[in-house]
This record gives sequence, structure tokens and C-alpha cells, in this order.
Amino acid sequence: MTKTPLVQVRGLRVTRGRHTILQIPELDVRQGEVLALIGPNGSGKSTLLRVLALLESAPMQYWMDGLPVRLPAAGPALRRQMGVVFQEPLLLNASVGTNVALGLRLRGLGRAERSRRAAVWLDRLGVGHLFGRRAHTLSGGEAQRVALARALVTEPRLLFLDEPFASLDVVTRQPLVEDLGRLIRASGTTAVFATHDFLEVLLLADRVAVLDGGAIVQLDVPRRAYEAPATERVRELIGATRAMVAALPSSARTPSEASP
Amino acid sequence: MELIVEGVRQAGAMLLAGDPEVWQIAWLTLRVSLAATCISVVIGVPAGVALALGASRLHRFLIGLANTGMGLPPVVAGLWISILLWRYGPLGQLGLMYTPAAMVIAQAVIATPVVTGFTLAGIAQQDPRLRLQLLGLGASRWQLYLLLVFEARIAILAGVIAGFGAVVSEVGASMMVGGNVKGHTRVLTTATVLEVGKGNFATAIALSLVLLLLAYGVTVVLTILQQHGRRR
Amino acid sequence: MGKADDEDGRRGRTLRGWLRVALLAAAALPAGECGRAQHRQDVILATTTSVQDSGLLEALLPPFEAGTPYRVKTIAVGTGQALELARHGAVDVVLAHAPKAEMELLESGAVADRELVMSNEFVVVGPAADPAGAGQHRRAADAFAGIAAAGAPFVSRGDASGTHQRELELWQQAGVEPQGAWYQQAGVGMGQTLSLASERGAYALADRATFAVLLPHLRLRIVLEGDPELQNPYHVLRVSARRFPRVNAAGAAALVAYLLAPETQARIGAFGRERYGQPLFVPAMGGGSEPPPGR
Repeated sequence: MTKTPLVQVRGLRVTRGRHTILQIPELDVRQGEVLALIGPNGSGKSTLLRVLALLESAPMQYWMDGLPVRLPAAGPALRRQMGVVFQEPLLLNASVGTNVALGLRLRGLGRAERSRRAAVWLDRLGVGHLFGRRAHTLSGGEAQRVALARALVTEPRLLFLDEPFASLDVVTRQPLVEDLGRLIRASGTTAVFATHDFLEVLLLADRVAVLDGGAIVQLDVPRRAYEAPATERVRELIGATRAMVAALPSSARTPSEASP
Repeated sequence: MELIVEGVRQAGAMLLAGDPEVWQIAWLTLRVSLAATCISVVIGVPAGVALALGASRLHRFLIGLANTGMGLPPVVAGLWISILLWRYGPLGQLGLMYTPAAMVIAQAVIATPVVTGFTLAGIAQQDPRLRLQLLGLGASRWQLYLLLVFEARIAILAGVIAGFGAVVSEVGASMMVGGNVKGHTRVLTTATVLEVGKGNFATAIALSLVLLLLAYGVTVVLTILQQHGRRR
Repeated sequence: MGKADDEDGRRGRTLRGWLRVALLAAAALPAGECGRAQHRQDVILATTTSVQDSGLLEALLPPFEAGTPYRVKTIAVGTGQALELARHGAVDVVLAHAPKAEMELLESGAVADRELVMSNEFVVVGPAADPAGAGQHRRAADAFAGIAAAGAPFVSRGDASGTHQRELELWQQAGVEPQGAWYQQAGVGMGQTLSLASERGAYALADRATFAVLLPHLRLRIVLEGDPELQNPYHVLRVSARRFPRVNAAGAAALVAYLLAPETQARIGAFGRERYGQPLFVPAMGGGSEPPPGR
């Protein structure tokens, strides 16, 4: 059942000055999977995410659907098949509806159709009633839901999320993590998300790549990483989560059958 | 005190009775300054975007230039442009000296750094991840620039208002390159200076009131446009 | 609520769009006017602020423009600038009142000829009380010496204008180097210099025409007049077309001829009579005099 991975990266190396920020000899993103990138601050997970999303250029070889991609020329076209959500909602100074419809507008869709689709996705994220509101009047949780709607309305094949829940308080975070998990599953979107919270990894991810000092030190299904951390560092990262295992809701992920 | 009252009375008489010379001067003032502001927007906004998005040493140098340009004394701009436009200057063949076109050029030179500086500041203060977010939504390079400008519209419009205000009120450059020729290059500021020089203070006050009204009128329109984009 | 806000953004954008169109249309207008102007031959006349302030040109030029295809662009600048512009061939005709500097220009060949058009007089003005006793003297140079000796405040043009140059010559004749707190160089036009002098109760040298025009606004009076040294002749200079081919030679010649024509000279002689009770200028033809020799 070896389907071609959606994205393949080989020989990635990012340096800034004399420091090597990222060194990834090999990484695949499989069709339909949710891949988590976890690591402490400065481990390079955000950089890796941006490179994978073609938002940052770096020396590497990149394949999509098994076909090699010429960068940076092919970047804009491929980005149209992707979606990005950051830690901050980064909404424009306009109405919620305008914000969510932005991606569709950039792709040349007509106004009526844009508004219809924007409303649909806002509903799916539970904030349909905010359609006409000015973006800056929203609370943190509402704004992040709008940002997610904005990314999902273009129906991307590949969704990137850079610590999307980090700015939210725990009470707001939990329902959003569950809602996002459901939506991604339902649409079959492939997703890569960066986080430093292993609980989210357990809840959402099919596989997790643990980063430390710019390299992947373990790439595994979450439960195996949890039970058998490859290095002392990984064990430290996961450590805090052990105490919360008992509190996992029933929608926790079970290990997938595919091998890492 | 009587001077002010007399000035106000004259201003009223000029405008209501439709003194043709005053109307002609006011109309020319408006056209020249609006044209110059327009040019400064066409040049200054893209320049400000380019400067805000670049990070090289050259960019930093140019930013310093733009910010210095904001404080450029109009009469200095007028002097340098005169030297270029005089009959035997490098651009003398164009025959632009002492024409409204020369005044538009001089005022555009004065206003462009202002618009550039405000645009630059407006975009530089945006979250740098906004650019990545917009690219991630599938924006092409030009779509990105347009969106960033749209997002910075309040600051940019402040720059336009400042630029217009700077040129409609300046007299040094207009005097030098325009020559204050009656019926041809006389604008409200240079006419006011003329009347002051002649000692007709009441007339000067009247003209200055017309200028204030004109400047206020345009600024109000621009302000309404700007406040439209405020976060409510 | 609802769709309204989405409309807001678009309405804002449409408004901006229209504004841009309007601005561009406005921008086109001055340019269009400029193009048309080129067909009418322009004669650029550089003159001094005192001539412009008197209003004489506004009375003289319209008939000239009506009767010829030329349009006169009058640039009123300081004498220094006017003569410098002539030296570079940037203008066609100069009307000035700085004999020494004009002669230099003629000798250098930058101007082809120099003709007397009209003249008037300078007068020494000061506070009504005349504390320095300037009025006792016959000669302006002596009055100046008296002012310097008394340390009475004096406001100078300080701007290389014709008036300023004459003032410096008078100081020279008085054997005085004018400096000190009492001697202030204004650097502005005649009208403002007189206002300054009036405010400070100071003396000044002014041309009679400007003083007559501004008298109602000033708290000054004429303390000395009539000295032949105070003659103020105005000459018209034609910039050399041989040296500066871009000069509008035909237009310049026509303008000079017009200024010297009998009807124009008569108009000059009558100018100012009704308004100020006295003519402001004496035309060359009507006995307006050249200054004493040696100038």
C-alpha cells in the first residue's frame, strides 16, 4: 500500500551565518496524514514548516505527487494548493467575511460564490454568526477559528499550521483542537502542524517528527514516541505530558497501521 | 484687529462676488497641488513598499534618504529644479521654466518623500508574518503588494494628506520655478506673499483665508476616506 | 451587520478608485494648458519687486499683449537675481534700476543694449520726530553720516537690490562702514522693509513710488528728498540674441520699442496720479533724467 507521498524532501539544509538551523536528509509527507512536528523553541520546527510550505527558500530537493518541483519558479502555483495558519490569526483590517473569502478572491472567484463558501466554512467552525463583524472586534479564540476557516475555504490539499493553538488559553484551546481534528478527517486534507504540546500530537497526529537542534531525532507514531522515546531529550520533551495521559478524551488517536 | 475683519470681509467679497482673478488663482492652486500629490502617490507608494520589504544595506541607505527628503526645504527643491529647467540648463530645451508644469514637478519632488516615508512606516509596522500568511493564501507578488498597501491604507492616506498639505502651502519652490506670473503661474501662496510685499495686508489675509478653505476642503475629503478604514 | 460590512470595504475601494481618476484628470489639465501656451510666443521679462509692487506693469502690458502675438511673462525678483538671469540668457528683457551693475552687464556683452525708460527718486524716510536730525541736511550722504553718528536704527534691504546698491553707495560717500546693532539688514522686499522700519521707528532708504503706495500703513515720513544723488533711473535691457540664440529676439525688440514709444511714455507719466495724487514715475521722454555722471 505504498501510495506516492504527497510531498518528499531530500537534502534540506538551512544555515544562518555559521549556524546550521536545519538539517533534514529525508522527510516524506504522506497523502491524507496528519504529521506533527514537535520540539523545543529553536529546534527549527517553524523553519521546517515554512520551508515545506514553500514560504521560505532553502537548498533542497522537493517533489510533489512524485514529480520534481523547480523552485522558486513553481512556488506560487504550488502554494495555491496549500493553506497556512500561524500562531496569530493575522486577519486583515476588514470584515470577517472579507477575510475568509480572501483566498478565493485571489484565485479569481466571483463575489456571490465567495461569500457563500465563506459562510459555509465559518459555520463549520462554529462562528457563522460573525460573518459581518470587523475582524478586530473578535476574541482570540474567535479570530483563530476565522483564520482556520480562511485557510480551509480554499480546500487545500496540504494544510500547514504553525503552533495554531499556542496563543489560546486552555479552555478555548481544547474545543478548537477537537473541531479541527474532525474537520481535517472529514475532508481528508493532509496536514502538517508544529507544536510544543505533546497532548495535541496525541490528539491529532498520525505521525510525529521530534526535532532537536535542527535534526529529526525520532519519526514515529505518537504512541510509540510516547512509550519509547529514542533519546533522553525526547523523553524530556514528552515528560510533562505523561501526567495528563489519564485525562485523554475518548477521541484520542490510535496508532495507524502504516510503519513509520 | 480691523485688519483681520477687513481681510475676512474681502475674502467673502472675493468668493461670493466671484472675483475672476481669485477664482482663477484658486483653481490653479488646486490643480497644481492635486496633480503633484497624484504623482507623489504613484511614485511614493511603490517606493515605500519596496523600501519596507527590503533589508539590504542599500535599502537602509535609501530609507535614510527618504526620511531626510521629508524635511527638504521647498525653496531648496525649487532652486535645484530651476537650475535644471533654466533655458541653458540640462533640461532647458523643454521650455518648462515659469510654467505650471514646472510647479507640478517641484511640488511632486517635495511631496514624494513624504508619501514614501509614511508608506514605508505603515508597512514596516505590520507583522512580518502577515506577508507569509498572504503568500500562504496563494497571493502572487503583485497581489501581495496590493494587499499590504490596503492593510496600511490609514498610514498611507496620512502620508497623502501630509504631502498635499506640504505642497499646497509652500511658496519657495512655486515662486522660483513658476515666477508668480499673473494669470499663468500665480497661486494662492505666491499671491499672498506678493500682497504682503506690497503692503496690502487685508488682501493678503483674504487670500490666506481662501487658501485655508481650499486646503481644508481637500483634507476633509481625504480624512473621510482615511477614517473609513478605521478599526471600529 | 451581515453583508453590509463586506460592502463597506468595496465601497471604500470604489471611492478610492474614483478619486484616483479625478486626480489624474486634474493632473492632465495644467499640462494641457502648458502645451497651448507654447504657441503664443512668450517674452520673459525680469524686473524688480519695486516695479511690480507699484502696479505699473499691470497698466502697461495688456495693450502690448493685445496688439501683438506676444505674451509677457513678468518675473519679479530681486535686482541681483534679475541681472544674473540675464547674464545666463534665461530671460529676454530686464527692467532694473541698478546702473552700475547694468553697465557691467552691457560691457560683458550679455545684453545688447540698454535704454532709459523712466525714473523716480529715492527718499530717506524715518520716524516723524527725526531724532538723528537727518532732515537738516541737503545731501543724503550727510544725513546717513548723521544717522550713523547718532546710532539711530536703520533698516537696510540687504539683498543686492537696486535700492540696496544705492544705499551702499551713499554709505560709501558718507565715509561710514555701516555696522552695529543699529544697522539691520532685512533681506526682504521694499514693502516689508518699510513695515519693519515703521515698527521699529527706524530710518530707511526707499523709492518714492513704493513709499507713496504704502504710506497709509506706515508711521514714517520723508525726512530728506531732492538730492541729485537720489535719482533712481530705470533702464530696460535687451538680452543679447547673438550670445543666447534661444532668446525671443523679435519679442524682446518689440517690447523694448513699446516701452519707449510715445504713447507708453505718456501712460507712464500719468500712472498713479489719481490714486496717490502724484505720478510715481517720470518717463524718459518727459524729462526723466539720467543720474549724475560717474554712475
